[in-house]
Amino acid sequence: MTTNLVVAPLLVALVTAIACLLVRTLPRLQRACSLLGGLGYAAAVALLVARVWPAHTLAYQVGDWPAPYGITLVADPLSAFMLALAALVALPTLVYSLSYVSGEGQRVSYHTLFHFLLVGTTGAFLTGDVFNLFVWFEVTLMASYGLVAFYSGRESTFAATRYVVLNLVGSSVMLLAVGGLYGVTGTLNMADIARWLADASASEAAPVLGLSLLLLVVFALKAGLVPLQWWVPSAYAAAPAPASAMLAGVAKKVGVYAIVRLGFVVFGAAAPGVVAPGVGTGLLAAYGPVLFVLAGASVLVGGIAAIDRPTIEETLAYSSIGQVGFIVLPLAVAAAVPDLRAVGVAAALVYALNHALAKPLLFLAAGAVRDAAGTTDLDALGGLAGRTPVLAGALLVGGLSLVGIPPLAGFFGKLLVFRTAALGAQTVTLALAVLGALLTVAYVSRLWIRACWGEPTPAVDAMADPGRVHVAVVVVLAVLVVAVGVGFDPVYRFATAAGHVATDAGRDAYVRAVLGGGL
Amino acid sequence: MTETVLALVLGVLFAAGTFLVLRRDLVRVVFGVLVLSQATNVYLVTVGGISGVAPIVGHGDGAVTDPLVQALVLTAVVIGFATTALLLVLVYRTYQEHGTIDLEDVEGVVR
Repeated sequence: MTTNLVVAPLLVALVTAIACLLVRTLPRLQRACSLLGGLGYAAAVALLVARVWPAHTLAYQVGDWPAPYGITLVADPLSAFMLALAALVALPTLVYSLSYVSGEGQRVSYHTLFHFLLVGTTGAFLTGDVFNLFVWFEVTLMASYGLVAFYSGRESTFAATRYVVLNLVGSSVMLLAVGGLYGVTGTLNMADIARWLADASASEAAPVLGLSLLLLVVFALKAGLVPLQWWVPSAYAAAPAPASAMLAGVAKKVGVYAIVRLGFVVFGAAAPGVVAPGVGTGLLAAYGPVLFVLAGASVLVGGIAAIDRPTIEETLAYSSIGQVGFIVLPLAVAAAVPDLRAVGVAAALVYALNHALAKPLLFLAAGAVRDAAGTTDLDALGGLAGRTPVLAGALLVGGLSLVGIPPLAGFFGKLLVFRTAALGAQTVTLALAVLGALLTVAYVSRLWIRACWGEPTPAVDAMADPGRVHVAVVVVLAVLVVAVGVGFDPVYRFATAAGHVATDAGRDAYVRAVLGGGL
Repeated sequence: MTETVLALVLGVLFAAGTFLVLRRDLVRVVFGVLVLSQATNVYLVTVGGISGVAPIVGHGDGAVTDPLVQALVLTAVVIGFATTALLLVLVYRTYQEHGTIDLEDVEGVVR
């Protein structure tokens, strides 16, 4: 069975990014090229998902160098789920960008940066090599630096500087941990590390605990978890609306994915003899409390800070800190309770999908408001529901999905998070999730009531009609949010298959597909 | 002996890098980031062993040095070069926009 298809999404995005650079003197051709590339990417991802469905694992050995000597690209249900999520967000966002970003901006760099962001995230989702993961992180970051600094004004320049400095320190730490892992295990291939850990004695595997926690911290930085969330609000406020949608919807999920892939699939393989001081045995047992503190603090800090932000975008940026906390909360339960690994990871993935659809929807709607009214200041806005009912309705759908109202996608996300916490009898986690949900209700209702309710303010009276493409894209995303909630069964089965890779049997299948022969 | 010296040097490098990153002066922060990433590269080289011979068939007897970490360092150096160049551009733009590279003053005008 040929596995060349695994590399297809990566190649499509890479070729598109370079092509957009080459034809930059012909704006119309460049836009067509970019849009075609976006469609091609979605098609490649759809083909790959169809091949992986329901639970196959495809391993592509780059250059035909057998693992663990070469670099392996692996498409398993977990990777396929993340790729599908990226494609679902990328295509509407790209269409939106065509009419949102200035012609000059599109011509110079926007399309290339956009597609390189896709290249980086796709590579990170597919790679089966730890050092290669570092390289894809850098590709993703390089593109996001460009997108954050895109407007190159006072605020965006400084936001980008802050973002670059933080992530360069993060990259050094990650490289340090990867090098240390290589020194301890003698391999960089993820499946090979898992196999080494399964065979290693407790004292041999002990250094991996510290190194893997270093990696966890770096992934928490990429995901924007408290206390490493400082870059999030300024970066999202500085980037153009569609770029913020991509950063919040897709780039942040790379950190979440890396926590699942390395924490659960690779380091979870360690023999239970490895003692984590104070919390029990096994490497995963040590991640449980760390993830819980990071996620819990994010839910609270993000939720509380979002309540009194002055603009729509800032509210959304802080909300995204809290929502990523919700994604990681079930992972903390899954790390602590071995029986719940598959359930917890599936819950995290469903919540990630909900956030990946709802947050770009809200960012793009906010962009449409800014484009038409010239401001997203909540003091200046009011009565949007009377002026543009469709846009206000879409804002409501996105907001309610964050809150978790049936039948929207967010309902099942919240439901599965609560279910995981309840099954694990984690009372504190459950209480924290309820508190976080209340905070979400508070900031979403404030946002919607201040922006859309009541009499139109002068700014809203004077606003132009929002762009038709903008409204159409926002409506498409709102329909997707509803569709995922209504037709939830296949999504749930996909997420469950993806969560299965975190179990021992799933890990064994992964290692078999990459290396041949099991653990 | 060499190992001990290198371990100490690495410690000093990481300490100096961390110290610089925490300065108010943005250029020093850049230097700090640079020192940190170079310290990481030195650490990576030591992971492969420093006492062996070059890994070429017939080149010499005894243990060989692991060439893989050197390939990793090469990759990391290239990436570090690109990101540092970008960071320097951003620092210069920050100076143009804000008229200062003192972080206290820049923070004063931006949230």
